[in-house]
Parts: sequence; structure tokens; C-alpha cells
Amino acid sequence: MKVALVGQPNSGKSTVFNAVAGYHSLTSNFAGTTVEYTRGQARVGGVVLDLIDLPGLYSLTPTSAVEEVSRDYLLENEWDVIINVVDASQMARSLELTLELLDLEAPMVVCLNMMDEAARKGMTIDTKSLSDALGVPVIEAIGGRGRGIVETFRAAQQEAAKGSNPHPFLYAPDLESILKELGGKVAGTLPQRPSAFHRFSALPVISSNPMPAASVKCLGGCCNTACGGQESVIAAPRVESSRHAPAQGSASVAVAEPPVRAGADLPYNEFQGTASQSQIGNLISHVGNLKSQIQVFPPARYRALQLLQSKPNPSPKRELAVCAATPDSGRRTPDLLVLTPDLLADAALRTPDSEQTFVDWARMEITSRTGQPADAAISSARHAACLNLFERVAKVARPKSDWRERVDHIAMHPIWGYAMLAVVFLGFFRLIFNVGQLGETRILSVFDALVALLTRHMDPHSAMFAAVKGGVLGTAGAVAIVLPYLLPFLAGLAILEDIGYLSRVGYLMDAGMHRLGLHGTATLPVLVGYGCSVPAVMATRILSTRRDRFIAAFLAVLVPCSARMTVIFALVGFYLGANYALAIYGLNIVVVALSGAVLARIWPEISPGMLMEVPAYRVPAAKVVALKTWWRLREFVLVAFPLLVVGSIVLSLVDFYGWQHGINAALSPLTALLGLPRSVGLTLIFGVLRKELSLLMLMQALGTTHILGAMTAAQIIIFTLFVTFYLPCMATLASMIKELGWRLTLAASAALLALAIVISLAARGVMLIL
Amino acid sequence: MAFWNPYCLNQGAMRDDANFSSPMNLYEACDQDELRILLITGGWDVRRSFNQIGIQPGDRVRVLRHAPFGGPLVIDNQGTQVAVGKQLAQQIRVEVLP
Repeated sequence: MKVALVGQPNSGKSTVFNAVAGYHSLTSNFAGTTVEYTRGQARVGGVVLDLIDLPGLYSLTPTSAVEEVSRDYLLENEWDVIINVVDASQMARSLELTLELLDLEAPMVVCLNMMDEAARKGMTIDTKSLSDALGVPVIEAIGGRGRGIVETFRAAQQEAAKGSNPHPFLYAPDLESILKELGGKVAGTLPQRPSAFHRFSALPVISSNPMPAASVKCLGGCCNTACGGQESVIAAPRVESSRHAPAQGSASVAVAEPPVRAGADLPYNEFQGTASQSQIGNLISHVGNLKSQIQVFPPARYRALQLLQSKPNPSPKRELAVCAATPDSGRRTPDLLVLTPDLLADAALRTPDSEQTFVDWARMEITSRTGQPADAAISSARHAACLNLFERVAKVARPKSDWRERVDHIAMHPIWGYAMLAVVFLGFFRLIFNVGQLGETRILSVFDALVALLTRHMDPHSAMFAAVKGGVLGTAGAVAIVLPYLLPFLAGLAILEDIGYLSRVGYLMDAGMHRLGLHGTATLPVLVGYGCSVPAVMATRILSTRRDRFIAAFLAVLVPCSARMTVIFALVGFYLGANYALAIYGLNIVVVALSGAVLARIWPEISPGMLMEVPAYRVPAAKVVALKTWWRLREFVLVAFPLLVVGSIVLSLVDFYGWQHGINAALSPLTALLGLPRSVGLTLIFGVLRKELSLLMLMQALGTTHILGAMTAAQIIIFTLFVTFYLPCMATLASMIKELGWRLTLAASAALLALAIVISLAARGVMLIL
Repeated sequence: MAFWNPYCLNQGAMRDDANFSSPMNLYEACDQDELRILLITGGWDVRRSFNQIGIQPGDRVRVLRHAPFGGPLVIDNQGTQVAVGKQLAQQIRVEVLP
């Protein structure tokens, strides 16, 4: 049985998922943590469930690539039941998605998560009446503590077994009649999804009455010039019969006749006149009697809603007809899509069976009745329904004022907010450094002893010795040098994420990010980049334009990830002191800022601006932090560790047989340019595989774990800077190609390489002067 | 706090004489103002993103704080805190509720 977890961002879907399926899905306290769906399995009540944790979406009409992932999954893949995870403390807003999911008319359970937070906000929710109103089971839960989770999955199983199809929440009758009409029209013209459910085995019979002509007068404002203020009449396209395939879920084709232009004897509606609205209403009510409901997925009404809410995309022919007028005040806004009937009828004649014609017609109908664009009318109807429902089922007492507000008073303060930001990040890196240094010295001494032991007991001139020594040094690097820094870093990052501080950073940085041609939302991927570039590049999906995604991904890759962090701390920090390491981080921030500013100049575009939920602070649960740290560390243990050891052995053997000279010679122009020892050339190649490798290889290439003896302080700094900025590692490159395409990836890589050389040279110049 | 928001209209003593129904945009509101959203301009994308996050014309919201340097402002909408960037905030017409 397939269970899809659907909910708004930061409603705790992944927490619910992890509660039963083990920690497989990353959780954080900010919107957009999950950008791809995660699958997992769980045994609940003796039944094995396939769980799909979908990225959060605010509504089924996506505005970002993340939401598209979820919507497309719901529409194109098979599942048996939806668990709609709702943040109870944000119920008024979250119910909007719930209502949209009900439109899918598929088995569903509402998991009212974070009941504790709702209680803290002074909310009491009558779950029973909510369940009655929605027509689906509603289960209270606290995902973080595992309460109500099993009940939710049990209820989901029951719903799926029953195959119950909840009824959609209906809006005002005249809106519904248009939806029904449009639904009937488009059901046949849209391609059916290839793998329709057997449950929704279709009986696609469309047979509607011939539609009488509806007449609409031009809607005032600037349209008057377009249609000369004349009354014009449009005959709605006529759908007469349909051919239907007997096979289940297959497409039915509506044969539409070209619409006829009816005479002007029909009454037309005055601009925004109420009398005319009822006339049209009468006409429409004539029409909408579909003889049979279409049992396909997604349901016709849902499709109608989607079409009406999707972005109006006027074709060149219709552009003339797009004009603006807000009826209430006469104030003109450019967003109201009004088509003149004349042009619409023309379009209908040209493309009689185009669903776009029907959609335009329905849009115009809704606009003429409500005085709002169709999508605004629908979403405001839904919004009103939600607020109504919310007031019926929830009581909100005065929220208890607590520490969260006082913290925000400082954390988001115009002065103290930035001071706190500096303290938090400096403290964070100081902590990593101190813990890491402690570990590095102790563990490294153990391995040093081991190497000394090996030298005594083996022939130091055999290939075997070279390989074993390589293996030992590789392990030493991974365990003694990388791990001591990585572990506190990942744990600290997990805590920062779970508290919910990162969104506040986004808020504080928004003004600064505008200088980089981005906005505050883009800080999240960049901050994620401090952990690992791969999820950071993927997190750029929360941004809405390709240009924003590219710039954010480029900056996120520039930010030193945890692997580069270990290089910085274990090389510069360990040998030269923590302040040098922090200075590299400071320089990095400057470089990120400058690159952003330059990119914004090269590719200028007005960013739509930041609109981001600021989540409530949460006290991170120790267990979740531990699991999350392990989850990220596992990637290091399973992928990087073997790579480091094998790479180290390979390099030893290369060194033993003297093959490295060719590679080093090939790279010698670069190393000479940067003033580095010739032997580090090879390590730069290995660094592309894994950034930590360049650090371990450095020790291999120099033949010692005590680097300061083999390289000068200036060389260490230049090497670290170069490794920090040059090409991203293979995994990052792969995800960049996936998210941005190979062209932009290539451009970004070339730019990064050039940038690394420039920065290293600049550093060399500065140090020569000093 | 108004100090941080030079755009903030009707502040301080002026507030008493202010014409509350005068058209203003969200960015011109002062901290702690209770507002009603009147109209979301700026086209489908802007409307859509506000609708998604649960903000619609007719809603009552409260301004919590402004970030400096033309940064975003945070509004409270039914207990949800939302940070709204300057450009987007300027697309929203509001009225101050007394």
C-alpha cells in the first residue's frame, strides 16, 4: 500500500515519516528542507506500507520547482492514500491545501501535527467537528514525540481499504456551476494520465446539452477601445457528443463543434451589473447538466480549478484583449485578465476544440461575476471557506507570551540581531575548531606511532609497504583529521537548523542579498552550503526563477562545505591558528558577496522578492539531532571514507612507482604560478573526487603528517585558498548538471577555476609584500 | 522602531490626524500597526505567492518588525509570521485599522 505524505512546508511531514520509517529523510525547522521525495517502508499493524515523503507545497498550483515535484508526483504516480500533514498551530492557512487535496477525491487522512505548539498558542481544536466538516478522518499528533503517528497510519490504511472518496468542498453555487461546466468541457480534451488507478476505472461518458449562447458585454475600462464599447456576443463552444473508449481510464475525446456567433438579441450584461449576473447565472444553470460524472483521475472539477488558477498565458492573438480594470474603484491594475468576447469568439472559431478557449470563457465568466481575476476569485473563495471552517472548529485564546518573543526581539533586532548573528557563527566555528584540534592531536599521535611501528617491521622499499602505509595514512586522515572537525560541525548545524534560526538569518540578510541580486530566501541554500554543496544546490529549487537558482547555486558552491571546512581547519587552523582559519572564512564571505554582485550585473533581473514563513523556535530534540548528525555522517563513512583510504593507497603506489612525475609536470605551470611545491599537483586532481582527499593526498605527496615542515605558512594558506575555491567535487558537479544543465555548470566551473587562481595569486602577492 | 523604517507613514503624533483610509502600501506601515489587506497588485505571480502563504485581500494582519537597510518586514497573519520583502510589500495596498 502506497501512502503519500503531503503537507505545507515545515508542517513536519519528514518528522512523521521518520517516526515510522527510521531516519531517512532530512528534517529541519525551515520551509523547504525536503526538495525531493523520499521513499521508505514501515510496518504498521502488520502491514508493510510504502511511504513517500513529498516536499512541502503550499498549494496544488505550484510557484516553485519544489512544489512541482510534489504536485507532479500526486498527479502522475500511483498511490493509495494521502496523509495530509497539517501544522495545527498554522491551521487556518494549512487547511487551504487540505481543501485542494479534497478536490482530488481520493482517500485521505488529515494528521493534525504539532498539537503541542497549537496549545502553546492558546488554540483548542475540535477534531471531531473538523473531521465531520472535511469528511475525512482527522488524527491529532505530535510528530516530534511520536504521538498519534501509529493512529494516523492505521486510519490511512482503513481509508485506503474502504476506498472512500471524500467529497470536495464546494464553493458558492455560481462558481461551482462554472467549474462544472468547464470540468465537463475539458475532461475530454485533456490527455489522460497514462497510469490511471484501477480504483478510478473510468466511465468516460461526456454528454452535455448543447449550450445556449451566453452573451457578455465588454468589461469597461480600456477594453472600450478594443471592442469599441459595443456589445458583443459570444457563443460558448458546443460540445455535443463524445467518443469514449471502453478501456478503463482511457481518454475520451470530446468532439466540439465550432461555436456559432449568436445574434445580438440575447440580453447582455452591463458592466458589473448585478442584474446581468443573475441573467448569466440563469443561462449557465441551463447548461451545466452533465448526464454523468466522469470518474477519472484527476477529477474534472479539480482540472477545471487547476486550469483556472494556472498562470494566464495569452497568445499573441489574444494579447490585444488583455486589459486592465478593477471594477470596484476604477483603479487600473495590469493584472486583471479580461478578454473581449469578440476576440475570444474569433479564437474559438480558429481552434474550436482548444481547451484554452473554454478556459478563457470560464475566466471571463468568473471575472464578470466577481470582479476579480479567476484565480483570485477561486483562492479567495477557498480562503474564506478555510477561515470559516477554522472559526467553527478552533478557539484561540490569548497566546501565552513566552521566551520565543523575547528571543526574536533580540535575534531580529536591527542592531542586536546582527551582533547575535556574528556571535552565533563565530562561536559555532570556535567550537568546531577547539573540539577538532583536541581530537586531531590525540588521534594523530596514535597513527604516528603505528607508522613508526610499520617502518620497523616491514621492508620500507617494497610496494607492499607503500600500499600499507598509504592505507594507514588514509585512515589516519579520515579518522584523525576529518572526523574530529566534521562531527561537531554536523551536530552544531543540526542544532542551528532545528532551532529555526536560519530563517532569521534569511530575514537579516535580505537587504544584503538584494545587493547580490538575490533575496533573503536565497540565503537558505547558501547556508545549507556550509554543510554540503550537494543539498545546497538542490535546495535552490525553492527559488522561483532559473536565474535566481543559478546565482544561488554558484554562491552555495563557493561557500566552504564541511569537507573544505576540514581542509581549512586541519591545515590552516591546526598549523597556523584558529584566527587564520576564521580569516579564510571571512575572505570567503567577501568573495561570495563580490561574486554575487558581479553575477547580478552580468545577469540582471528584478527578483520577485522575499516571501518566507518565519517558523516558531523549537527546542531541538537530542534524539533528532543525533539521528540527523549520523544521517549526514553516514554519507562520509560510507562514501568518503573508502574513497579516502583507496585514494591514499593508490597515491602511495603511484608515488612508489614514480608515476606522479608526469602529472605533476603537467600541472607544474599552475603550481609554479601559485608558488606551491611541485608535488602537490597530483593532490589537486584528487581533490575533485572529494575535497578532503586533497588534504590527505597532500600528506601523502609530502610524505609526512607534519606539513609545516614541508611547506611554508604562506604555501599552506595559498593551497587552502585554492582548494576552497577551485572546481566543486564530482558529486556537486553532478547535482549542478541536474539542476542547472551542463552549460551553466560548465560556465560555473570555469568561473570558479579562474576565481580560485585569481584569489590564490592575490594572496600570494599580499604575502610577498608582507 | 519607526526610526528604522524611513518609509513608515503616519507615525507618532501624526497618527491621530491621519486619514486611515488613505491608500498606502504595506511597506509604509509602522511596526505594531493593525492592517487590513485591501488589494494585492502586481499580477498573477505576486497574487499567487501571497495566496499560497495564506494572505488574501480582506485579511487582518499586524506588522511586527522591519529589518534595516530596506530589508523585509515581518507580519503576523493568524499566528503565522511571514517575512515580506520590500518590493513585494510595496505591491500590497493596506489600510490601517484604528
